Amino acid sequence: MNAIILSAIAGVVMMFSGIFSKNKHALTNTAIAGLLILLIGNILDTYHVYTITVNTHDMLHFDKFGASFNSIAIGATLLYVLLSGRDIEKVGVNVAEYYALVFFALCGISLLSSFNSLLILFLGVEIMSIPLYILTGADKKNLKGNEASLKYFLMGAFSTGIMLMGIALLYGATGNFEINPSQSLINVPLTHGILGPLGLLFIFISLSFKVSAAPFHFWTPDVYDGAPSVFTSFMATIIKSAGFIAFIRLFSSRSEDLEVSWQVILPLVIVATLLIGNITAVFQQSVKRMLAYSSIAQAGFMLFALYGSNDLAREGIILYATAYSLATIGIFAILIRMKDYTFDGYNGLAKKQPLLAFVNTVFLLSLAGIPLTAGFFAKYYMLASAIKEGGHSALWLVIVALLFAAVSVYYYFRVIQAMYFKDGEAEMSETNKGFRILLVIIACIIILIGIYPSLLLDRLYF
Amino acid sequence: MNITQILFWILSGAAVISAIMVVVSRNPIHSILWLIVVFFCISGHYILLNAQFLAIVNLIVYAGAIMVLFLFVIMLMNPNKTNAQQKSLWKKLVGVIAGGCFLLTWIPLIKQAPEIHNKVALLKDGNIGLIGNLGKVLFSDYLVPFEITSVLFLSAMVGAVVIGKKE
Repeated sequence: MNAIILSAIAGVVMMFSGIFSKNKHALTNTAIAGLLILLIGNILDTYHVYTITVNTHDMLHFDKFGASFNSIAIGATLLYVLLSGRDIEKVGVNVAEYYALVFFALCGISLLSSFNSLLILFLGVEIMSIPLYILTGADKKNLKGNEASLKYFLMGAFSTGIMLMGIALLYGATGNFEINPSQSLINVPLTHGILGPLGLLFIFISLSFKVSAAPFHFWTPDVYDGAPSVFTSFMATIIKSAGFIAFIRLFSSRSEDLEVSWQVILPLVIVATLLIGNITAVFQQSVKRMLAYSSIAQAGFMLFALYGSNDLAREGIILYATAYSLATIGIFAILIRMKDYTFDGYNGLAKKQPLLAFVNTVFLLSLAGIPLTAGFFAKYYMLASAIKEGGHSALWLVIVALLFAAVSVYYYFRVIQAMYFKDGEAEMSETNKGFRILLVIIACIIILIGIYPSLLLDRLYF
Repeated sequence: MNITQILFWILSGAAVISAIMVVVSRNPIHSILWLIVVFFCISGHYILLNAQFLAIVNLIVYAGAIMVLFLFVIMLMNPNKTNAQQKSLWKKLVGVIAGGCFLLTWIPLIKQAPEIHNKVALLKDGNIGLIGNLGKVLFSDYLVPFEITSVLFLSAMVGAVVIGKKE
């Protein structure tokens, strides 16, 4: 509850600090302070030191899993603001409002990590999405950004409609909004009716849209490409992982209600997501667009947590969220400073900025899932959970995933190749010392988790 | 057949016919007017289900506010008849086949669904849909979602200001 209340309050505080201060740096510092308080509040909540208790009538369920994810989301946002705060200030004049929207999105995320009622699921998804529609169009003079924002809004509204239809059908099937109804008001087992499975299918479609899984991914490249790069970074990492947390919370208890169709639909979605994400990413010329498609491909891997939906999958999704968020935030922080977003723009970066080129390499290796980086264990846990759940029937799925992981190495290494083995004048805006130190710290965290994943995973139990 | 059933069938028939008219009408203004009729019919159903407050809100918000906005937008855009693109026969045919397949899968599903089969809506008493009862539930059982909704509206308002403000 701490995270939900504090993030809402921090959002309101940010709104008002925009009235009193026109100094953009001061606003960024306020946001950093707010995020620190939020992080501390959430950690206190995790270890039951101090919790604001509210009678939620069982609509919210707080556990270690959700609280740990909150900490990761808030911590990643903190790193993101520390790294890219200067770039957020450059997007437009309404800096205070941008930060307020980021805090509101965090409020939605903390709802999604603890919901126990479909009503809260809906509110969480909406509170998380609406700030994003606006942040996408934050750069009002950029036509591409406007188009992306409108497209995102219309499609997002449509997917919300589908989710509401699903929730209504589920309500019709059980007579209440709980995700795990203990007793049904109507004495019909959920599996025998049509309303329950159909409702779950609708919610599945809508959540797949939010995490850009394959048949519902069409908005992703345009929106990620059109939005200001700083906000793409936020969208592609923290928000996307939060979508998966919502997915797991809902479907780990409900997937058997879909019975047979679940075993057919989910592998299809996973393979389609991996196929479209990886193959299209190979043909991109712009690094930003490549990252958009790679985020679709990474979503394909995260969907394995849904397929497994056991303890291993829960650990894995926490690990994956951390590894993927940290690496992508780092890559975007460097990308934003580049003059040219194409692969050629990275030519010869290693000669001019050896340190930045090195940390960028670490991030890319982590995304590709090379051992000794966090990305390796993240992918390992995902595939292991699928094997543990499905046994031999899941083997073909794992082999397909491994093949596509090999494909992904190609486009991640194109950036590394451009940085180290091509001659050119990579142009970059000025970076200060703090920026570089932070990037090195993030790279260290990625390598540390890559060697001792238990550092992070033990937090789930103690 | 008692009076409730007669009313139900009249309202249902009117709703379905006017919903078809929404889609069939060539003039968008006519479509909107038919849509308002649909909303009135649905409000009638709400009253039959003892949800009086919902019926009134449905009329005020949808038939009143949102449809007027629709009318404004359409009148401002002023779509001419010449502007409307003529769809090719091929496209129409594909649409009919796709829609027909959808209908074919739905009808047997709904016919077999045990939740709907021979079930009538559970109506306790006439007071259940009154605003007093709604308020009591909203401020006791559903207090947390109710309060959280304020964050949703706040972020939407902040967004509207950010987008609308002059730079």
